[in-house]
Amino acid sequence: MTMINVKVAAIEQVTPLVKHFTFVKEDGSSLPAFSGGSHVVVSIDIGGRVHRNPYSLMGSPMENEAYHISVRRQENSRGGSVFMHENVTVGMPLKITYPMNLFSLAKKGRKHILIAGGIGITPFMSQIADLKRMGANYELHYAFRSPEHGAFAAQLKESCGDHLHCYIDSNATRLDLQALLSDQPLGTHVYVCGPSAMVVATLETARNLGWPENHIHSEQFLSPPIGEPFKIQLARSNVEIQVSAEMSMLEAIEAAGVEADFLCRGGVCGRCELDVLETDGALLHNDHFLTDSEKASCKKIMPCVSRAKGERLVLDL
Amino acid sequence: MERGYWIKSKPVYNALVWHEKATAHLVLAQNQGGLAVLKLFQQMQPQQPVTVIYAQHDTDYAKTLKKVVPDGLDVVSSEQELLVSLKNIMPSMRMGLRVYVAGSEGFIWSVAEVLKTFGVEEADIMKELTDTLARTIYCVHCKAITHNITTNIGKCSGCARMLFVRDHFSRHLGAYMGLMIDAESPGELPEIEEIYP
Ligand code: FES
Repeated sequence: MTMINVKVAAIEQVTPLVKHFTFVKEDGSSLPAFSGGSHVVVSIDIGGRVHRNPYSLMGSPMENEAYHISVRRQENSRGGSVFMHENVTVGMPLKITYPMNLFSLAKKGRKHILIAGGIGITPFMSQIADLKRMGANYELHYAFRSPEHGAFAAQLKESCGDHLHCYIDSNATRLDLQALLSDQPLGTHVYVCGPSAMVVATLETARNLGWPENHIHSEQFLSPPIGEPFKIQLARSNVEIQVSAEMSMLEAIEAAGVEADFLCRGGVCGRCELDVLETDGALLHNDHFLTDSEKASCKKIMPCVSRAKGERLVLDL
Repeated sequence: MERGYWIKSKPVYNALVWHEKATAHLVLAQNQGGLAVLKLFQQMQPQQPVTVIYAQHDTDYAKTLKKVVPDGLDVVSSEQELLVSLKNIMPSMRMGLRVYVAGSEGFIWSVAEVLKTFGVEEADIMKELTDTLARTIYCVHCKAITHNITTNIGKCSGCARMLFVRDHFSRHLGAYMGLMIDAESPGELPEIEEIYP
């Protein structure tokens, strides 16, 4: 995959846990245009291991001088976010992918209800720029833990005005999904990004109320979990690869110099799917893409987030 | 029609089945479509509110429908009247409404066109084809729309060209493509047969 060389132009601590990074092209030229809801994958090198994590682009899609992402510090993870928080400094060169969009606004939508939880606000930042430009009817419902954790809340208040509704756990204000989704005009689309419980609750509420599937949109990138090391064999490339505890299978494949497809790197898009030719152990499926029966069949695996146990796992790559 | 050849734009119609998850149901039917509605109520009486608008001209399912549909049945005498009633009730409908349509293809797509203006996407409408296979065609030459074509070749109501009725369907126009058949050798027409009775 072709990468863009950028450098960090600014870093801002937005909340105690969230940092906002501004990237510009290393050679000073403009960045490619993108649409609201897009993300890029950022490559970072942690002690010789290349991690590639997806982050939503937050700026206005109209601005092509700089890209903006926000990273929430996640302890007990593979270290990507901690590295971004502690080791990435202004002026540092980084490689990112071209923007890709798995969370775009429905063009035919009459009204758009955006539901964000915590750092899940990021994809909506660029969508709101699009919605405002189109003069679209929208509401942004933003839930966060406590006032100091409401990243960009003040900025959003200014740009969205009455369209913004905030729910703050510490003030015991809660978003009533049932009430919100049971009284919307025809042609409304709902979009959710946030913690898993919130995404599931939104999807279920909308479905139970009879919202058609194509009016319900969600984005939830999973981060590859840490696990036991294991070995894989790539049949077509004829190599054996060791997947270490903190690397994803996809990262290990890439580190071995084998080209593999991906879009989200978070177990949702389906692009990285690989056929399993042989396995003697268990596949540890962590994705949201394969159906339960596909997972049980042990014939396919999503290497961006899933892992394996056992001595032998042969993949068709 | 060539065997095993499938034109993606050609709509597929199904038998009406209630959506289990809904906050309200709206059923629109014409003529023989009344039977489709009766079959729907054979499945069950949904818990949520149901509105049925039925346009009948030469069939009489209205009597039976009146017995079966608990309330919210509106019987009208033409498609035009049905579309007027539809336009009147749509503004009060909210997300969670599920829509079912049964009737001729022309009926289905005129209903879909009205529904679209209220934010209901065609893909979200359940459709059952009844009555006739007659096609509405649009002339690719003069753009005129001609209704009720039951033959493989039909005369354009706009430019009077003889049009071959194709399987390519425009959801936007609710019509099949009609292409001049004797462009190469004017006047030479293959046999005209009824294939969309
Ligand atoms: S890259 Fe999207 S599911 Fe793996």
